[in-house]
Amino acid sequence: MLIHGATGGSSKDTLDPHAPVTAADIARVNNLYEPLLFWNNNYELEPALAESVEGSEDAKTWTIKMRAGVTFHNGKTVTADDAWKSIQRVANPDAPLSAGGQLSTILDFGACKVVDDTTLQLVLKAPYAILDSLLAEYTLGIIPGGEFDPANPVGTGAFAYKSFEPGKTSTFTKYADYWGDAAFVDELQIQDFSDDSARVNALQAGQIQTVDNLPYNLVDTIKGAGGGTLITDTGAWVPFTMRVDQAPFNDVKVRQAFRLIVDRQQMIDQALSGYGSLGNDMYAPFDVAYAADLPQREQDIDQAKALLKEAGQEGLQVELFTGDDIGSVATAAANLFKEQAKAAGVDVKVTKKTPFYDDQYLQYTFAQDFWNTRNYIPQAVVGTFPPDQGGTYNETHWDNADHRDLVNAAAQELDDTKRAELLHQAQEIEYNEGGLIIWGFRQQVDGYGPNVNGLEGSKYLPLGSYKFNKVSVQ
Amino acid sequence: MTDLGTIVASPLEEVAPPRGQHGAAAWFLWIARRLGLAVLTLWLVSILVFLATAALGDPIRAILGRDYNANPGRVAELEKLLNADASIFSRYFDWLGGLLTGDLGTSLASGRPVSELISGPVQNSAMLVFLAAIVMIPVSFLIAMISVHYRRRRPDTVIQTVLLAIAGLPEFVIGVLLLALLATTVFKVFPAVTISSPTGHPWDNWKVMVLPTLTLVLWVSPYVSRIVRASLLEVIDSEYVELARLKGIPEGVVMRKHALLNAIVPGIQVIALQLAFLAGGVVVVETLFSYPGIGLQLVDSVRNHDVQVVQALSMIIASVYVVVNLIADLLSILLTPRARTAISS
Repeated sequence: MLIHGATGGSSKDTLDPHAPVTAADIARVNNLYEPLLFWNNNYELEPALAESVEGSEDAKTWTIKMRAGVTFHNGKTVTADDAWKSIQRVANPDAPLSAGGQLSTILDFGACKVVDDTTLQLVLKAPYAILDSLLAEYTLGIIPGGEFDPANPVGTGAFAYKSFEPGKTSTFTKYADYWGDAAFVDELQIQDFSDDSARVNALQAGQIQTVDNLPYNLVDTIKGAGGGTLITDTGAWVPFTMRVDQAPFNDVKVRQAFRLIVDRQQMIDQALSGYGSLGNDMYAPFDVAYAADLPQREQDIDQAKALLKEAGQEGLQVELFTGDDIGSVATAAANLFKEQAKAAGVDVKVTKKTPFYDDQYLQYTFAQDFWNTRNYIPQAVVGTFPPDQGGTYNETHWDNADHRDLVNAAAQELDDTKRAELLHQAQEIEYNEGGLIIWGFRQQVDGYGPNVNGLEGSKYLPLGSYKFNKVSVQ
Repeated sequence: MTDLGTIVASPLEEVAPPRGQHGAAAWFLWIARRLGLAVLTLWLVSILVFLATAALGDPIRAILGRDYNANPGRVAELEKLLNADASIFSRYFDWLGGLLTGDLGTSLASGRPVSELISGPVQNSAMLVFLAAIVMIPVSFLIAMISVHYRRRRPDTVIQTVLLAIAGLPEFVIGVLLLALLATTVFKVFPAVTISSPTGHPWDNWKVMVLPTLTLVLWVSPYVSRIVRASLLEVIDSEYVELARLKGIPEGVVMRKHALLNAIVPGIQVIALQLAFLAGGVVVVETLFSYPGIGLQLVDSVRNHDVQVVQALSMIIASVYVVVNLIADLLSILLTPRARTAISS
C-alpha cells in the first residue's frame, strides 16, 4: 500500500481524464489513464498507447499505430476507435478541453478516419509538424469509446479505480494486466491535504510515503526525518509582463533597460529560496530548439540607465501589478524588483491586487503571470499571438508579424534542423525586443519517506510524473 | 477568546422570567420567549452571513481565475446556477426560503447538493467536539476540586500557574507541541493526520482522534477549571457552607452536596460557551491534523469561493451557538432552586 499526500485538492476535484484541475487531480489522472505518447523524464516523446505516430511529408496526414494487446481496466482491448473518440471529446470545436485547444482548430474532422482496429489516420487542415507533442499531454488519456463515466472511470493505467471522494481521498488497485511494468504495490491511495505542514507531519509520522510540491522551507524537515527529496528542473516561470503597445514600454529601449535591471540570481535566491535555474528572457528551456547560445543577460545598471536616458525616461515611475493568486513567488519577486530598480533610478510602485485575475487581467501595463513547462511553439502561440490567432493569454500585446511567420513556418516544418533554425530566429526576435522578463525557472521539489524506493525525477510533472507503478515501499 | 466575565457574571438575571405568572403557563411563556429570541438571532445572523458572502466579490470570476475571459460558456453556466441576474433581495429570500425548507442549494465548486457535501464533515466535527466535551468536563471539575481542596496552599498555586500557562497558549501551539511530542519527533505513538478511509468514519481508528481531542481539551479546560474553582471558592467561603461545616457534616459531603451543586451553574455557562466556541474554533485544529470536519470544509469552500457551502456552514455554526446557549440557560435554571421557584411561583 502506497499513500501519496497530494497538494491541495478540494471539493472541485474530478477524475475526468481530460479536465484535471489540482495537483491531486493530476496525480490521479496520471495513474488511471494514459495518452498515445508519453513525455519521458527528460521531456522527450516516447511511445505509450501508440506504437508510432508518423506524419506524412507535408505534415498534414498523421498515421497512428496502436500498441497491440493493451487492455482497459474493464478487460476490453484498446482500439484506434477509442483513441479517435477520446480525441474528439477533447478537441470538440464547440467546447475544447484543456489539451484540445490547438487540436480543435487544426483537425479536419471530416477527413480523419479509423482505418482499422489498430490504425488511426488524422488529417489536418494545415500542416502541423509537432502534432505528436499534442498527443502526449497527460490531459489526453484514452478512454473506452471516448466516454467518461464518473461512477466507474476506466482507463489503461497501472492502477484501476476503486473509490473517490472529492477533496478527501481516492483509492486505486494495481492493474495486473498492465501492458508496461506492473506496479509493485497492490494499492494506491491519494489523500488530499489542504495544509502543507499537515502533509509533512504525516510523512514524518510515517502515515504517507510521498508528497509532491514540497514548499522550499520544509525541505530540511523532511531530510531531518530521514526522508528524501527529489529536486528536478522545470520549465515553469513567473515573468514580468510589459505591454509593448503602451508607454513607456512601447519603446524597446525601456524594455531592454528593465531586463538589464533584474539581478536574476538574486531573484532565484530570494523568491525561489535558491531552487531555480537562470532565465534568459526566453521560455521553453527544454525545447530542442531552445536558443541556449544567446548570451546570458545579466544585471547591468549602467547600461540600463543609459538606455533609459536615450529613451528620455530618466526618473521613470511605473506601477507593477501583482497578486497572491499568481503564486507565492510573484509578490516576493515584485517587491525584489522594486528594490533592484531603485539602483537605476526607476521608481516602481507595487500594487497587490485581490484577485489579480479579474477583468483587468491582460490589460495591465506592467504586471506578472505564471506559466508551466511547455515547448516553444505552443507557448508562443498562446502567449504572443493576437487573440484571434490563438493568443488567449497574450499579456504583453505582442503583435509581431515576422515573429509570427517564423513560428507558423516552424510549425509546418517536419525537418528538425530547419525547424530549429526557424525557431532560433523567432527566439532571437523575442530576446531582443520582447515584452517578457523571464528571470528564472523554478525547480520542483518533492519528498518521500525513508522506506520508499524507485522514484526518479521527471522534468514533465512532479514525483516522476506521478508514475507510482515504479515505486516500492519496504 | 470571548470575554468570560460578562457571561458568567449572572446568568440568572438575564434568564429570570417575569414574576407573578403561574406554573406551567409561566414555563411555557419563558420557553416561548427564549425560542423567539433565538429565532430572531438566527434571522439577523442570516442577513449578516448573506451580506458578508455577497460582499466577497464576484464568485464566478474568482472560481474561473484567468480563464474567465477565455471561457464564456462556463461563465453563463455559473451565472445561471447563481441566479446572478436577480436582485440581492430576491436572492436573499430565495436562499432563506431554501434554508427553511431544508434545501441548502448546490455547491458551485463540485456541483453536488450542499447538504450531501457537508453531512459527513458535520458528523465528524460533532464527534470531535463531543469527545472533547466528555473528556474536558470531568477533568476540569476534578482539577478545580483538587485546587479548591488545597486552596491558597502550594498545590493550588502550582495548578493555577500551570493552568494559566496553558491558557496562554494558542491552540495551534498546543497542537504543534503535541505533534512533535507524540507523532513526529520524540515518540511516534499517534498518527499526525487523519488519512480518510474511503468507507467509514475517521474514528474507526481511535488513535486518529487522540491528538485533536487532546488539543481541544488542553485548550479549553484551563478556562473552565479556573471559573469553576473561582465559584467553588466563593461558595465554600460563604456563610451557609460554613454553617454546614459547623454542624459537623463531613468535608466531602459539604463539598458535593452544598458547594459543588451551587458552583455548577457558572460552570455550565462557561462550558456552553466553550462548546459553542469549539464549533467554530475547530477550524485551526482540523487544519493542523487534516481532520475532515466542518473547519476543513469551510477553509476549502472559502478558497474555492463556494458561496453556498460557506453560507450553510456559517448558519450551522451560528445555530450551534444559539442552541447550546439555550440549553445552558435551561440547565442553569433547573439546577438553581431560586430561579426554578421564581419561574413557577
